[in-house]
Amino acid sequence: MRLFSKIFQIGLATEPLAPGGDEVVRLLRTVDAEVRRMFGRALAIREVDAGSCNGCEIEITGLTGPVYDSERFGIHFVASPRHADMLLVTGPVTRNMAVPLLKTYEATPAPKLVVAVGDCARTCGVFAGSYAVAGSVDQIIPVDAFVDGCPPEPTDILRGILAAIGRR
Amino acid sequence: MILLFFLMLAGYAFGTIAAILSPDGPAVRRWTATGAVVGAGAGLALALGVFVTRVPFVLEASALLSVGDGLVFRLDPLGAFFLALVGLVALPCGVYGAGYSETYEGRHSLRLLGAMLNLFLLTMSLVPCAANVLTFLLMWEGMSLTSYFLVMTETDEPDTIRAGGWYLAMTHAGLVLILAAFLLLAAGADTSTFRDLRAAAAALPPATRDAVFVLALLGFGSKAGIVPLHVWLPRAHPAAPSHVSALMSGVMIKLGVYGILRVGLDLLGGGPAWWGALLIGLGALSALIGVLYALMENDLKRLLAYSSVENIGLIFIGIGASALFLSLGAGAAAGFALGAGLYHALNHAAFKGLLFLGAGSVLHATHTRDMNRLGGLIRGLPWTALCFLIGSLAIAGLPPLNGFVSEWLLFQSLLPGIVSPAPLVAPLMTLAVGILALTAGLAAASFVKAFGITFLAIPRSTAAERAHEAPMSMRIGMGILAVACAGLGLAAVPVLSALSAVFAGRAGFPAAPAPLSAGISLSTPAAFARMSPILVAVGLVAVTAGVWLGVRIFGVERRLRVADTWGCGRVMQTARMEYTATAFAEPLRRVFAELYRPTKDLSIDFHPESRYFVQSIEYRSEIVPWFERYLYAPVIARMRLWASHARAIQSGSAHAYLTYLVIALLGLLTMLLVQGT
Repeated sequence: MRLFSKIFQIGLATEPLAPGGDEVVRLLRTVDAEVRRMFGRALAIREVDAGSCNGCEIEITGLTGPVYDSERFGIHFVASPRHADMLLVTGPVTRNMAVPLLKTYEATPAPKLVVAVGDCARTCGVFAGSYAVAGSVDQIIPVDAFVDGCPPEPTDILRGILAAIGRR
Repeated sequence: MILLFFLMLAGYAFGTIAAILSPDGPAVRRWTATGAVVGAGAGLALALGVFVTRVPFVLEASALLSVGDGLVFRLDPLGAFFLALVGLVALPCGVYGAGYSETYEGRHSLRLLGAMLNLFLLTMSLVPCAANVLTFLLMWEGMSLTSYFLVMTETDEPDTIRAGGWYLAMTHAGLVLILAAFLLLAAGADTSTFRDLRAAAAALPPATRDAVFVLALLGFGSKAGIVPLHVWLPRAHPAAPSHVSALMSGVMIKLGVYGILRVGLDLLGGGPAWWGALLIGLGALSALIGVLYALMENDLKRLLAYSSVENIGLIFIGIGASALFLSLGAGAAAGFALGAGLYHALNHAAFKGLLFLGAGSVLHATHTRDMNRLGGLIRGLPWTALCFLIGSLAIAGLPPLNGFVSEWLLFQSLLPGIVSPAPLVAPLMTLAVGILALTAGLAAASFVKAFGITFLAIPRSTAAERAHEAPMSMRIGMGILAVACAGLGLAAVPVLSALSAVFAGRAGFPAAPAPLSAGISLSTPAAFARMSPILVAVGLVAVTAGVWLGVRIFGVERRLRVADTWGCGRVMQTARMEYTATAFAEPLRRVFAELYRPTKDLSIDFHPESRYFVQSIEYRSEIVPWFERYLYAPVIARMRLWASHARAIQSGSAHAYLTYLVIALLGLLTMLLVQGT
């Protein structure tokens, strides 16, 4: 009963799309069309946190949240690299995550795309030179596209995905 | 015929004597195998001869024993079927034993093993040939005793002694009941030949007939291993050498079925409907209990033994349906159900023999039967794995192998009962069909477990890692039975027609059985259903070949890339991360928790400084052994109590014993006096 009364009290809580949000939706449609052209079906993404501060993860989660809801455009996140077409790798690659990242890459069936998300993934960011860091993502596995930003916004991530698809 | 019969006797006798006389070593193994193979081959030929010509083989040697009417042998189609069963499994087991018994060299007496094996095969072959009570009981007891000695081969294992005790007790309890049944049956007969018993049985009062049937059912049932008399199977079968397990599980327990058919349908000539219903009920119970316990078993050979209980249950459902239909006057349906039951007995002999031989190869290579210590054997033992896979597919009832055909036939043979107008028959048959379906599914699950945990994934112990392929003789033994599994499935049409006619014209079965085949397909009596094992096999091969060709021709570029199993990116994957046999069965353990009542015992050993560091974890889980705890334990306790009371008589004093003698003598004399007057 508390659930129902809460629903009544609060009412509709969805906010209107923030300025610039239309751009995200337009990009999502483009990605959708491109993925259909390439795979003939939805795009399955496996997210790999190779040592990030979780800033990038929050932005990636934003894509799947109720505002953009990327699932409706056929971009969905899967639980195993065996199901994935694309890896989204975030963070500087730490020593502990170097082998798991490589194994994840090997476990992904071809054809596969890799998008390195965030400044850390490209340059190791403020963590560069730390004894705990093995290197940037492209030093461990081949990368198709980089997404800059700390953290990058959903728009940037989508552009990165498009760039990776466009390389094929 | 007579030549073949004597060749069979000579083969086994030669094997026995040669095994005793030759020095311990490879020679014994060779002579044992030669005797067994010659005897089994001759027995198989004799059985096939009787089966094809339909002329019974008769041999009377009254002079051989002066007691009763001597030794009388008569091999009719029913007996010939069971003799063929013995030959079919004994032949590959003899070959297999030559290689397998090498393990025992220097540890146990190979000469005793070889001699007992041949004697066991000899007496087992003569049980279905016997045609009077004396011969039958002699051979039956010979079979039980020799198999007891075979079970006791590995006497250095404490479990073996206990297993032998259970087996001896159960088989002799059965013998007492069988003896009582024959005594009741022979009360009104002139001699104890089966012909006279058959003639006299018709005149017996119904109550005596019922008593004979129930006694025979319990007596032979204890050998067949029906629930609740099955407790010796999961003990004795794992303890015996594997080729002996194959013989005991594949053939010997079937002779219990033979006994029930011989007494119930042949000598008594069938009976009221409740006989059939009782058989179906016990069969359904055995099938379900057997497969449920098989599912929980982690010992490879114990799993197979429990699965034998299940399959004996299926055979009982078949012969029970036959007896039931017979009492209802539906001769055609009865013949069909009997054929289905016997066909399943034949198939079970082939695939269970094969599986026990496969388990023997695993044991030979790794010296363990615990599935949680096996795994990955497919790399070390590819041939054994292939044979075990064929056996597993057959027992799981997958087409086109023989298990599928006989389980399909069992279903079809029960279906006419569902529309039977007789009271209570329809619900009973519906229940039996349901249990049959559940059993088939659970059997498939337990053999996915048996094969998957044993042969696939990473080895769970160094023994499994270092496993080596079995020697050639063992592979030949398994190969023969694997081919038999496929062959029996494809040859279903002639085999079934022959089997459903073993009783043709007798005990209410129609003299000319309805044709059970239409061309190359099997067809049930009322043309209710049709199925062609050959076409199913051809279809499967065609689909497989079609997919393969399709991929080759139209397939996109296929590049093979070998990578690790995905383990969530772990740096190292060890055997400890694998699914264990217990874990595989866990979901079903939960579903049937009411029956299993699993106990859980978790003990964690922490580091003395801090509870955050665990030094070791031990987890134990057991299921309630219902029959042992609530049926046998009270009986055994009561027996012990009586025995301790009876000990008072056995004082050890010679004077007391002399007194007993005098009292007994006086008693006998008085009896004579009373009878004389």
